[in-house]
Amino acid sequence: MLSDLIGELPQLLVNGLVAGTILALPAIGFTAIYAVLRFPNFAIASHATMGAYAGYVANVWLGLPVIPSLLAAFVVPALSGMACDEVVLKPLRRTGPLTAAIAAVALTIALENVIRFVFGNDLRGYDLPVWRDWRFDLGFAVLRVGPQQVENAAISVAVMAMVFLFLAFTRTGKMMRAVADNPMLAGIKGINADTVARLGSFMGMGLVGVGGMLLGLDTSIDPLTGFRAVLSVFAAAVVGGLGSIPGAVVGAAVVGVGEELSLLVLDASYRTAVGFLAIVVVLLVRPRGILGERAF
Amino acid sequence: MPMSLNRRGLLAGTAAALAAPSVIRAQAEPIRLGALNPLTGAGGPYGPSMRKAIEGIVEAVNAAGGIGGRRVQLFGEDTQTNPDAAVRAARKLIDVDRVAAIMGTWASAVTTAVAPLCWESRTMLFTVSGADSITQLPHRGFIIRTQPNSSLQITKLAEFLGERGARNIFILAAQTPFAEPNRVILEREMPKYGGRVAGQVIYDRDKTVFRSEVDQALRARPDYIFLNGYTPDVTIILRELFRAGWTGGKVAPAYAVNQRLLDSLPAEVTNGTVTWAPSPDVESPAFKRLQALLGTNDPDPYSCQTNDHASLACLAIARAGAATGEAIREHVRQISQGGGERVTDVVEGLRLLREGRKIDYAGASGACDFTDTGDILTCPFRYEIAEGAKLRTLRIA
Amino acid sequence: MENYLVAMAVFAGLYGLMALGLNVIWGMAGMINLGLVGFMAVGAYTSALLTVRHATWPIPLGILAAVLVTATAGALVARITARMRGDYLAIVTLGFSEVVRLVAANEIRFTNGTDGISAIPGPWRGEVAPATFNLIFLGLTALAVLVVYLVCQRIRHSPYGRVLRAIRDDDQVTAVAGKPVLRFKTEAFAVGAAITGFAGALYGHYNAYIAPEGFVPLITIYVVLALTAGGTGTNAGAVVGAVLVVAFMEGTRFVVAAIPGLAAVQIAAVREFLIAALLILLLRVRPQGLFPERHIRHPVPDPR
Repeated sequence: MLSDLIGELPQLLVNGLVAGTILALPAIGFTAIYAVLRFPNFAIASHATMGAYAGYVANVWLGLPVIPSLLAAFVVPALSGMACDEVVLKPLRRTGPLTAAIAAVALTIALENVIRFVFGNDLRGYDLPVWRDWRFDLGFAVLRVGPQQVENAAISVAVMAMVFLFLAFTRTGKMMRAVADNPMLAGIKGINADTVARLGSFMGMGLVGVGGMLLGLDTSIDPLTGFRAVLSVFAAAVVGGLGSIPGAVVGAAVVGVGEELSLLVLDASYRTAVGFLAIVVVLLVRPRGILGERAF
Repeated sequence: MPMSLNRRGLLAGTAAALAAPSVIRAQAEPIRLGALNPLTGAGGPYGPSMRKAIEGIVEAVNAAGGIGGRRVQLFGEDTQTNPDAAVRAARKLIDVDRVAAIMGTWASAVTTAVAPLCWESRTMLFTVSGADSITQLPHRGFIIRTQPNSSLQITKLAEFLGERGARNIFILAAQTPFAEPNRVILEREMPKYGGRVAGQVIYDRDKTVFRSEVDQALRARPDYIFLNGYTPDVTIILRELFRAGWTGGKVAPAYAVNQRLLDSLPAEVTNGTVTWAPSPDVESPAFKRLQALLGTNDPDPYSCQTNDHASLACLAIARAGAATGEAIREHVRQISQGGGERVTDVVEGLRLLREGRKIDYAGASGACDFTDTGDILTCPFRYEIAEGAKLRTLRIA
Repeated sequence: MENYLVAMAVFAGLYGLMALGLNVIWGMAGMINLGLVGFMAVGAYTSALLTVRHATWPIPLGILAAVLVTATAGALVARITARMRGDYLAIVTLGFSEVVRLVAANEIRFTNGTDGISAIPGPWRGEVAPATFNLIFLGLTALAVLVVYLVCQRIRHSPYGRVLRAIRDDDQVTAVAGKPVLRFKTEAFAVGAAITGFAGALYGHYNAYIAPEGFVPLITIYVVLALTAGGTGTNAGAVVGAVLVVAFMEGTRFVVAAIPGLAAVQIAAVREFLIAALLILLLRVRPQGLFPERHIRHPVPDPR
């Protein structure tokens, strides 16, 4: 029994980390929007789906390879996120962050149905070969790792690195951090909050879109693609600390690994609950999430 | 039309005229039928083509002059794959549109929620839901279910797997009301053929990754894996099995591994997957017509079934000479079974009925013979195997 | 048609009850609760399990038990989440409702799993004609809404309600003023949850069938939107908002049916789009809701 457990553990850890890296991008997007605009933008579900479809159009209809398609998966939801925020959510934020959050839920239902109207409900797959997994014999266990998953994880890590470099070294990135840390002070310093807000929605929803496409590469896409992942994304962002970008990465890893390890003690059908158990446990110990709420 | 039209009648009449301008305007009040399918939500991948299969029959009947000179008017609603929304939609179909039958409910929770409304208001309910409990409801004959129940379905599967030499079967099942009953029956049936069920994992079908579930299945060292889910999750699991280097047998219900799934995955991932479904005879004209209607070589089993729902409702109404739920309930078995001229086309059936002949309808989903409780009697099943992103029929038995 | 309108009025009433419950938690005490459907499920399951599956209690006892159980569940959730700020609470309560749904789906022996529970009794169901049953239930629902409305009005205008509003507007100041903030919050959450559980129990007895799939977050969203559209903080707003949401959901059916030349799936998509768009529009036109709370408000500082 114990040897079984030891044999399973490495594989579960690897699966969990891979799942976590995919989860990390939309979680960063969600948390980045929160950091700048101070409300949970629940419209990420439909924007993840939108990214998956934008990538699909580029990849299958236009015949582009995966990497350029990812660009489409970034740009289309990024523009939509910015536009929707400007037109729908921004005026409501004055009433209160929760009114905006709730309007964002209605927005996500509306956008999901725009996608459904155009593409229908049929499942679609990317034009992508499927490879067999690599196998590593560890002596006490055989580990299998999928090339596609490694590629997805690598893409995710590369995008994360770009985000961190952008925030750390560019003028715009610094502006965004300043607004996230203290909007009032940033305002006094002459940073235009509106510009930063637009940028936050643009970058955040773009990352969510890329995450949606990465998710789609591994599954197949339909109008509910983003919706299926969204609860785990919320969990990841909250566990890490809403508004903290490194926190989103840590939270994604915790939720990803947690959901896999739970299989040792729970039925697979309870997996969705794990993210929330993680939230409750973490928040009881640290009410502001693992890394708190500093943006960076 | 009578002069004493109320506003509702006027609206319905206008809508009908708009919907089918080319069709002969019948003199009498139209026959009202309802389609209630999952167009959004988890059943979304299935609902649209289920609806088209119904619309095709209604159009054919109207093009041929309707039933006894009366047009058939179809009212469609969306279940949103949610019992709460489905109940409201069914209320509208029953109380506002006053339909004689509701056709094509999918998902057991939806069907069970809608069923009491139907039998209380004496509306016929045709469903594709698989949970055994549905026909055990006190429905007083108002439910016809074209999807075989667990017992029939799994007995047929066990027989087939036994012949193919399967000894050790692992089940990867989506969480549905039929997951557990299916396992119990497979466990009971397999020993007859020298096989057994090695284990089962029930997974949450809203997840997007099933790597660890697949690992659990492989650890049991099965020779066959039974993918008892729906298209979205089975797509992911098939890809995962390929990656894991699985070369053993794969079997799944035909509604899960359908043409759309085969189109969305590389062929080497799906090759060798076996499917099974209740089936009409080889070269069934009803099946051929549905292929043409839906523009696909392999209409999925749910669309075959809803196609038959519409045909059965129309023929029963014609036989009864009355368009009510009770009329359908009383007469549906008189046109679907018990001898008479073999009919696979609703229009031909209507013609024969006009001539006063007895008919026995068999449609795109199979023989359409029902027990008193509304389940289908034994019927042939079609076994197919995926090869190069196409399904090839192994046999029909 | 009449029968349909009666049925939809029952749905509106049940949604209205839940909106009233949410108003106590959110509108009065300022705690967001996106797990409303979880409490609705707990209420529906408690009463159903006690009246048909595990026992054959009379319906009123089942409903009473549902109210008590959901109140307890609400108090528990409130205690656990007491220190969490709004956004966290939103996501944690959302998670709570998903966990309730998963438990209902997985603990088959206790809840009958995804098969759900059917043949839940309703008052005089089967003894009277379906249309009469519908009317009886509408009467009961209207009575329930009226009673809960009066109770909520009473809470709102009492000193107790003023403390809740003080907590909503600034819980630290209220604490400094010597009010036991945690106790007030817990009680408000329990009361709101109990009302929601009450609605859930009625829902089960009306529909005769409940299943885990019926308790999805979409229902929470509709209720939250109902309260927001009606006017957060006011009880009349909660009820009117619920009527409006059901009117949107049902009215759109008749609108989209008139659009020619679309496939069925597109019609369904247009309808869901319209419901969402109408609600957004309403929020835009009247951000404070149709019945805004009338008291002096300090302007909320721009969140940016």
